[in-house]
Amino acid sequence: MAASELILDLILCLVLLSLAVAVVEVKRLYDSIILFIAFGLILSITWARLGAPDLALAEAAIGAGITGVLLMAAYANLAPKKHLQNSHRSWLAVGFSLAAMVWLVLSLIPLADSPESLVAVAEQAMADSGVTHPVTAVLLNFRAWDTLLELVVLLLALLGMQQLRLPSLKIAYPWPLLNAWGRYLAPLTIVIGGYLLWRGSSGPGGAFQSGALLAAGLIVLRLNHVIPGLSWQHAWLRCSVLCGAGFFLIIACLTAWLGQGWLDYPASYSASLIFIIEFLATISIAVTLAWLVTGQQEAAS
Amino acid sequence: MNAALVSMVVPFFAAMLVLMWRPQQQSWLVIVASIVSLLAAMMALLSVIDSGPQSLNLGGWESPLAIRFQLMPVNALLIVTTAVIHLIVVCFAASSHHCQSIKQAFWPLALLLHGSLVALWLSMDLFNWYVTLELLGLAAVSLVTLAGHKALRAALDYLLLSLFASLTYLLGVVMLYGQYGTLDIALLATLTEADRVTQTALLLISAGLMLKAALWPLHLWLPAAHSSAPTPVSALLSALVVKAPLFILWLLWSRVAPSELAVPMGFWLALLGGGALMIGGWSACRTPHLKTLVAYSTVAQLGYGLLALGLLLHWQLNDLQAALWLFVVAHALAKTSMFLAAGEIQASTGKKRLNSLRGMTLTMPVALFAFAVAGGSLIGLPPSGGFIAKWLLIQPMLIEPAHWPWALLVIIATLLSAAYVFRVVSQGFRQSSVSATATEHGKSAQWLALLPAILVWLMALFSEPLLQLMDVFSA
Repeated sequence: MAASELILDLILCLVLLSLAVAVVEVKRLYDSIILFIAFGLILSITWARLGAPDLALAEAAIGAGITGVLLMAAYANLAPKKHLQNSHRSWLAVGFSLAAMVWLVLSLIPLADSPESLVAVAEQAMADSGVTHPVTAVLLNFRAWDTLLELVVLLLALLGMQQLRLPSLKIAYPWPLLNAWGRYLAPLTIVIGGYLLWRGSSGPGGAFQSGALLAAGLIVLRLNHVIPGLSWQHAWLRCSVLCGAGFFLIIACLTAWLGQGWLDYPASYSASLIFIIEFLATISIAVTLAWLVTGQQEAAS
Repeated sequence: MNAALVSMVVPFFAAMLVLMWRPQQQSWLVIVASIVSLLAAMMALLSVIDSGPQSLNLGGWESPLAIRFQLMPVNALLIVTTAVIHLIVVCFAASSHHCQSIKQAFWPLALLLHGSLVALWLSMDLFNWYVTLELLGLAAVSLVTLAGHKALRAALDYLLLSLFASLTYLLGVVMLYGQYGTLDIALLATLTEADRVTQTALLLISAGLMLKAALWPLHLWLPAAHSSAPTPVSALLSALVVKAPLFILWLLWSRVAPSELAVPMGFWLALLGGGALMIGGWSACRTPHLKTLVAYSTVAQLGYGLLALGLLLHWQLNDLQAALWLFVVAHALAKTSMFLAAGEIQASTGKKRLNSLRGMTLTMPVALFAFAVAGGSLIGLPPSGGFIAKWLLIQPMLIEPAHWPWALLVIIATLLSAAYVFRVVSQGFRQSSVSATATEHGKSAQWLALLPAILVWLMALFSEPLLQLMDVFSA
């Protein structure tokens, strides 16, 4: 048993490393993107093997899924001549990176047997957190302020993209297979996304994973011309992008003003408050990610 | 503490309001939000003076679990400075004719930047700082891209370096968390030992922060990014954004790092600070472009901050804290003034080069005056904020003969900064071959550029309460 697990882990490590090198070394940019998506998927399996299913889900949905689509969309906008990677290799950089790696690994070795005191503290506080899954408790209760600011980070990413005034994604007429698949895929993403969101309070899942999945559904629908282009001129779009961070911030202010203190949820409401926050955050994340991929659509079209 | 929270939340809400409703006259909403934030920040400062440092555990959880906010004299002062500079810059952007094109997108980004800065000053948590640094980086890069296509290259470099720095910082934080199981600064301070993991972690975090703060020799992205950004943005970036990593660096080395590591590191930091002063000053004296000169002067002036921090650690001398933070505040005000004046001049002549300043004493006297007054504080002429800070820095150097080489360094740096300030001002007094076009050059914008320069000279009048504030803190 142990031997077979060791073999699986070794294969994972080997595949991960060779994919990482391949992403950098292949000549054509297109191949590099495909390899990067594969790298994300293997990385997600690695997280699952390490016993972090939340991270595995997030990596699969965001790292491999949405990032891959973003890279493809960027690739579509490139001038034809730039499809080759810069093949100039600096051995100095390679040597420097290897030396830095050795130095880091040597410094990391003592960490293997250090205590993790916060885990015990967090487990003790779980009863008052309103949820039963520790990762959700950390993200939305113990360290909710970090998550709130992360939602603002996402908003800033969108505002930054707007500045670039990129041309909107040119979408070819969907071929029949995509059309047929889209009809099945889109409802499925809603069902699975909803499940992941609901499940987040008691098991792996939550707003970021669910939002990324819903974004994927939105992108598929957009590629099939089922939904119109997303435009910042639409009030509903601005509303859904802002609702996650906005509601979170309002809750923070209300708890500071009327309640115990900044982001200190009243004990009896904390479960439902966390769910509403996650629900609105999911909408924000889904719409923002979908907008990042499809880009600004002119209001006229 | 509640006042400080209001000062942080108001810009966030105002940004969302502007994004959601998109009113025609956004500037008034933004100015009102900045005024409210400034008033709240002043109340926070007063409450610190009255009742001392205050601490708040977010979410009401116990200390190792929760993110902790702490309001101390230093960050209360920084919150007020942030609010003052944002208010001035926002008013400038609203009144300058040359900022029309960037307006729509500028307001929400500037407001988000303001909120993020206050969030960073208040936080005492290593991971929360990572999130706020991300916010600052993204907001700053987006603001730089407002200048259009010509700034894209600089913005992309800034983004990539900033992300790399974030990852380096995060790796260090992960190592500290793995070793000690906490992210809170005060708790870490009681736990840290001078072992290999701690040393590596501190070095990684410092490298990330120094790259973000453009401390020499990791400053190469700064001149391009700051000089190609729109004028109000350059002022915000140079005055405030680069100071945020310096704040973290200071807390980390003066509180968390064990003295066995801090003392030798202090020497190297001071040496790098000296390098920044020399190379930054020299580059500012050489560059042919006005805004690049001001940007290089930021590199040089950050060297004073690094020098003060390094000597503070090396000599374990807490008095230098006052010097460090007065430098930061004085430089923030003076640099705002300089960038606004330089930007207004550059926009009205339409030329980037320094020799286009000829005859400016006739056409734009107020802007040139603002530049000169702010320059006075950067050189450290008495009685300005820059002078007090420099005096505090140089005092412990003069007492001991062994420290005299440092004093010599500061004096050479002062001469260099005088050289680049006079390089600009003297151009203004040269006669222009073209007859002075006495057009209306946005009077109110020029006066707004002068305002922070006057404030930095007023700092000298209030030096006693300021120093008392710092003493309360270091005690």
